[in-house]
Amino acid sequence: MAGRKDGRPDHDPLMTQTVPQPPETRETLISRLPNAADVEAWDAFVGIYEPLLFRLARGRGMQQADAEDFVQEVLAAVIKSIDRWVADDDRGPFRAWLFRIASNLAVNFLTRPRHQRLGSGDSQIARLLEQQPARKTDSAELFLKEYRRELFRWAAECVRNQVSEPQWMVFWLTSVEQRPIAEVAREYGMSVGSVYIARSRVTKRIRDMIRQHEEQTQ
Amino acid sequence: MTVRSSPCNDDNLYVLLEGDEDSDLFRRAASHVDSCPDCQRRLTELSAEADYWVAQRDMLHPVEGDPPGSGTLSRYRSPECAMLRPTAVDESTVQAMLSAPSHPEMLGRIGRYEIERIIGSGGMGIVLKGFDSELNRPVAIKLLAPHLARVGAARQRFAREARAAAAVVHEHVVPIHNVESEQASPFLVMQFIPGESLQARVEREGPLSVREILRIGLQSASGLAAAHAQGLVHRDVKPGNILLEKGVERAYLTDFGLARASDDASLTHTGVVAGTPHYMSPEQADGRPLDHRSDLFSLGAVLYFMATGHPPFRADRPMAVLKRICHDGHRPACQCNAEVPEALSAIIDRLLEKDPNRRLATAGDLQQALAQVLSDVQRGKLGRPRRSVRFTRSIWIGASAAAVIVLVAIALIARPWFTNSRNDGDSAGTTAGTTDGGLTDARADDAQSAFDELMAVDPSPTAQAAEELEALSGSVESLETYPYPFPESNTKEPNYEAQ
Repeated sequence: MAGRKDGRPDHDPLMTQTVPQPPETRETLISRLPNAADVEAWDAFVGIYEPLLFRLARGRGMQQADAEDFVQEVLAAVIKSIDRWVADDDRGPFRAWLFRIASNLAVNFLTRPRHQRLGSGDSQIARLLEQQPARKTDSAELFLKEYRRELFRWAAECVRNQVSEPQWMVFWLTSVEQRPIAEVAREYGMSVGSVYIARSRVTKRIRDMIRQHEEQTQ
Repeated sequence: MTVRSSPCNDDNLYVLLEGDEDSDLFRRAASHVDSCPDCQRRLTELSAEADYWVAQRDMLHPVEGDPPGSGTLSRYRSPECAMLRPTAVDESTVQAMLSAPSHPEMLGRIGRYEIERIIGSGGMGIVLKGFDSELNRPVAIKLLAPHLARVGAARQRFAREARAAAAVVHEHVVPIHNVESEQASPFLVMQFIPGESLQARVEREGPLSVREILRIGLQSASGLAAAHAQGLVHRDVKPGNILLEKGVERAYLTDFGLARASDDASLTHTGVVAGTPHYMSPEQADGRPLDHRSDLFSLGAVLYFMATGHPPFRADRPMAVLKRICHDGHRPACQCNAEVPEALSAIIDRLLEKDPNRRLATAGDLQQALAQVLSDVQRGKLGRPRRSVRFTRSIWIGASAAAVIVLVAIALIARPWFTNSRNDGDSAGTTAGTTDGGLTDARADDAQSAFDELMAVDPSPTAQAAEELEALSGSVESLETYPYPFPESNTKEPNYEAQ
């Protein structure tokens, strides 16, 4: 086979890079989560928090690779603590718990001195997870702002996969970019009424998703 | 007599916001909104309050890192999750990974390969149709997805995929021509198979005929047996990874995307596991160690998909699918589709056992079981396959099989008479002397011939039918030649103990 070297891993340049491995996968969670709504909550959590944590970490000056590791470590730490939630007879709804501990962690992370490097050991992450963060600080506010943004972007991404491309585009152009409806309608060969319908349908779906999520995390 | 209400009412507008876009109600309401500015305004109000529209605009406004162009958001996803949710790849992303094309009508060039177009994208990579300018032949090129190319674990897995897949040489496994792993964008070069995936075929045609299910099942099982014989577990057997070559009846197993050498210190225990949820085995979904029997479960789910048009475990979220795979039973295929013979449904059930120990043991066993059903179908025992393309041929084979059965039956009935009257056993006695075992052997022999026929690629149909007939009639004479269901040389059963 041309192009392949001798095939021995230690001679393969691809094998020299190492990345830390999370101790568990998302899939292993399935069997431990009590019901389908919890599985959905986990999906929503990962969908919102992965990009959120990544952006917060980058915003704190972390390199790309370090930010990626950070995201993985947080997810691993959260998965670990799920057992405690499952074992707790008094546990509240999974979604509310999950988003509460994750926001604690994120706020604690933002409160840390910027120069302090996060070790690769997960005990530090666990500490971030367990501390009760101070409310009403700049960190808490920054977190809320970024969380809210990611919530919208998550819902928008989900809805985008459910609607047609032209529907999505006319929604975007007329609502996010605020271009005149008549102009966009002409550009996409749609009637003005159809553009109104498309942007309203998309908007309602995004809003419903966010509202439903917020009700469940209260 | 109904009083026609004003077209301007909130109920109609709610239909537009939440209703079925294909309904008449929707269409009527939509055509009214075209010419009614009041309703346009009201529709906007009903969808969300004004504050919300403002907040939405602010929150979705592009941030640093978003790609240029309207309507796109860039959201970081870890490789693990990105692999579970394949995202669409557009030409510009791919072009960024290629050098400029030599011909303007081409997309670009990588190494000595001219890239024509994108064939598809999966969890780990993008598949391109290309042309090998040195060897003058079309090729399929699999390029590691850009967001994974910089992730060490993904590069390792990709290199491993290449090594694993190239080691399997079999007529029902897509051949690997070349592997380039030192480039910024690692890629592997495979034979180009014109045709479509099993996924696309079933989506287009719905459930397949029994004969097609058995043919594709047998061929896939044989490709899998070859991989297993190399000590490889495919780990991602699914309809999208079975290619059906156009014009010839040949199925290929492809994309050993998650395959790994069994003895390899693997990534599995440490976590980065991905796969298509619908066809994952319970042990895979649960992150437990797995062996070749995991592939058998997946192939069982594929057979189920061919038979019913949908996978055995369905739910609206990937995680929920996995949970069902681990905990729920499936509805037998023959209950979903009455055309599916019970024998085939039972084989699928054996493959979909949650406990690997209760499944058929090997891909070779599966081949035998499927061949047996095929022979029974051809002998008309299990009813006629639905929508069979080779309807007339099936009848022809069925008729000849029936003729053989009659002959055997006559011999059986005649036996006591012969044994009672005379004991020379030279003519009829030879045939009838091994009656019970003989019948089983005849069945097995038919199974073998049916199996051989299916494994053979594109012989002329008439010659094939003649061969089948010959094989069927020959089976009576050769009872003693094949004491065991399958001649040794034709079984492709791997020996796992020896690995």
